[in-house]
Amino acid sequence: MMQADEIMTKDVVTVRGSATVADAVKLMKEKGLRALIVEPRHDQDPYGIVTETDIIYKVAAFGHDPKKMRVYEIMIKPCVIVSPDLGVEYVARLFAQTRIRRAPVIQGKELLGIISISDILFKSDFVEKPKRLFIEDEIEIAREEARAVCAEKGSNSPECAVAWDVVEELQAEASHQRKKAQAS
Amino acid sequence: MMKAREIMTKDVVTIRGSATVAEAVKLMKEKGLRALVVEPRHEMDPYGLVTETDIIYKVAAFGHDPKKMHVYEIMTKPCVVVNPELGVEYVARLFAQTRIRRAPVIQGSLLGIISISDILRKSDFVERPKSNFELYCEENPSAIEARIYED
Repeated sequence: MMQADEIMTKDVVTVRGSATVADAVKLMKEKGLRALIVEPRHDQDPYGIVTETDIIYKVAAFGHDPKKMRVYEIMIKPCVIVSPDLGVEYVARLFAQTRIRRAPVIQGKELLGIISISDILFKSDFVEKPKRLFIEDEIEIAREEARAVCAEKGSNSPECAVAWDVVEELQAEASHQRKKAQAS
Repeated sequence: MMKAREIMTKDVVTIRGSATVAEAVKLMKEKGLRALVVEPRHEMDPYGLVTETDIIYKVAAFGHDPKKMHVYEIMTKPCVVVNPELGVEYVARLFAQTRIRRAPVIQGSLLGIISISDILRKSDFVERPKSNFELYCEENPSAIEARIYED
């Protein structure tokens, strides 16, 4: 499985929470970015993020003056952060479950980059090598089902044979995935 | 007020609902796009949209095989559409209220696509922010005079 640090965008720009939204927009336009990271103010302070969505939904949509609003008023802080060694499929899962589209990649206290759904779409191998995340769980359930079917219908019944075929197919798929993962 | 037509992206690519997700991803990579418009199948059929969010949330997040899934399974159809004459501030408001980030611009036919990135980069909301009252006055030039005479 590819990791977050293999596909993240390393070109990441930070902004202070006290900056105006107009300054943030200027920075985003200059650097061609859709989000800026808000640096912690001290050791105990969490990371934050301000995205184009925050700016459009919370400022432009109300006709507020971006020169009079500050980043801290619209930022997400604390924000969800991603560990550099997290698998790309798990990043996708995390994003889907938390309904977010990008997150800073952080190791310890150090900001390494930012990862977005665009990075996953454009740089990851989810099309070439789709990976079922919980295939071991699926195998476990298929096994339980096969045992139940065989107990009920008899161990020589066609239903029993079909149920174990399902288990075998899943196991083959799992070993296929493992081989692909080792090869890459 | 700037209009949707002035800041929309005219370079828009369509796809059929019956295409595979893998085909959609290939097209998006080739063209550097974050969304594709799904064309209506006939006159009475609405427009649809498939975005990078749909693909990551509904396919990649589950490890489904994009070669075995189809656009129609993950697209948003009917989708919100924007009139080319709609003011940019209203597009922002519409997007915020419906929690969307992009929509096709349609008048009779498909003219383009407008996204929050277009608003951020190309509109004048920083230089010329418009309050509700200012928007109202733009549409009703007599409003300010009416206020004066009421006093």
